[in-house]
Amino acid sequence: MAAASRGLLARLRGLPLSRPRLLPPSHLFSAEPLVSHPDDDDGGGGARIIEARSGVMGPSSRRTGVIGVKCGMSAMWDKWGAKVPITVLWVDDNVVCQVKTAEKEGFFALQLGAGQKKEKHLTKPEVGHFRAQGVPLKRKLREFPVTEDALLPVGTTITVRHFVPGQFVDVTGITKGKGFAGGMKRHGMSGMPASHGASLSHRSIGSTGQRDAPGRVFKNRKMPGRMGGVQRTVKNVWVYQVDPARNLLYLKGQVPGPQGSFIFVKDSIYKKPDTTLLPFPTYFTQEGESEDLDPLIADLGDVDPFMAAD
Amino acid sequence: MMQSLLRSVCRAGSRGASAKKLLECAATPPAPTQSGPNLSSVSHLRPYRWIRPFGSQILTGDGVPAASGFCVKTLVMRRFSTVGNAEVALEDDDSSSPAVEHPPRIKFKRPDKTARHIMNILNKEAVEKVRSEREIPDVQPGCIIQMRLQVPENKRRESALKGIVIGRRNAGINTTFRLRRLVAGVGVESVFPLYSPNIKEIKILDRKKVRRAKLYYLRDRMNALRK
Repeated sequence: MAAASRGLLARLRGLPLSRPRLLPPSHLFSAEPLVSHPDDDDGGGGARIIEARSGVMGPSSRRTGVIGVKCGMSAMWDKWGAKVPITVLWVDDNVVCQVKTAEKEGFFALQLGAGQKKEKHLTKPEVGHFRAQGVPLKRKLREFPVTEDALLPVGTTITVRHFVPGQFVDVTGITKGKGFAGGMKRHGMSGMPASHGASLSHRSIGSTGQRDAPGRVFKNRKMPGRMGGVQRTVKNVWVYQVDPARNLLYLKGQVPGPQGSFIFVKDSIYKKPDTTLLPFPTYFTQEGESEDLDPLIADLGDVDPFMAAD
Repeated sequence: MMQSLLRSVCRAGSRGASAKKLLECAATPPAPTQSGPNLSSVSHLRPYRWIRPFGSQILTGDGVPAASGFCVKTLVMRRFSTVGNAEVALEDDDSSSPAVEHPPRIKFKRPDKTARHIMNILNKEAVEKVRSEREIPDVQPGCIIQMRLQVPENKRRESALKGIVIGRRNAGINTTFRLRRLVAGVGVESVFPLYSPNIKEIKILDRKKVRRAKLYYLRDRMNALRK
């Protein structure tokens, strides 16, 4: 078959990418030697060199997002004593796994991978993809469309400091599955009276149409069915705190999905943050900084909001 | 935390012990300490990370001795683990690159269990932090409490409340208790978070003996004398 011959041809040509067994086993997991390797970052057929350098963010630039794991919800008290409901996201090892450019794919995007996975748990095509790019094996891959000035080389780690506390983000996730849900839960119908003679139909959807004309039920009539388990985006979520030492992101409010599911966080489209504050294209650790930083909390201002209400 | 404590004991402490037991039975050479030299020795067998084949040989060879069942099970599971990850994970950092020995790293099979583990740790730390800053007595149902509360919405006035605790709900940092008191002749129940920074002081005046966790029967027995 074509696949077998392609593999055979690759072996005959002795392509370096198809012979990873010569590499030491640790190569697959240390992303450091691959950061900003100009030769390997050939995004397309042409000589496009992508470097891991900070740039200036223009008004129409888009940065990448981040893949996180929803850990759970809790509450915290901010410094003025108000209670803030918090969702904790764990940003586990986000590494750029593939760069898509206009020359090769027709658009600009970064494919991020999060988590870790054993080779025996991945299919061979997936393992081959990671091997070809030279990145560790990841649990979840997701593409984020970016603008050309926000491209990063393969192997760049994206940490939680990519986001600034106090900014707004859009959060996408797969919602919790509710199974086969009835009309009241799924569409908010009001059902029927509990007594006064209503027989056997307290939660039903009632009538579904007219009589002989039209003589059918219109399409998109709201009926019971499967609810949940779809991708939804919650917009304008406020980032309350960022914990770089533990790769945790604290968001205010709710986020779709159950505990342990993957969540994709991007900059907000509607409430655009101040472009000078955001690290662009992402946050690169400077030399002078220590590994263990205290959590960065959003700036709540110096004026007590409760006293000012007089 | 019991489970993770057990796991940490089994992994870190008894790794040597049960490993030795298994090795005696199996009579295979090196100890599964999963250190650098070990990796290189098996690397020729399988160039990718896991010492899986090595571990599986031992398993299928002689079966697992029944000593210390739980510990052995976790040891057996941990054999299929990242090279160099000898520590149990308490808090996560980077979970890649076995060569780098980060302070304990989360190593997991199921993301939702790890997620809950992280939340547990965060909760405990938050509670510890508040406990170290403020003196919070043990409020149990049946205590008669006098507390000073600062309400930020009410222009930060400090109000003194006195009443009986009729229930307590434990939820880490969001542990709350219900206080029933008489306000201008009317019985009022309010819920307060125990670790809130707005509660300035709690003083226990009296402890009544109760045989129940939630004293909702007091709603029907409102004596004017009861507090």
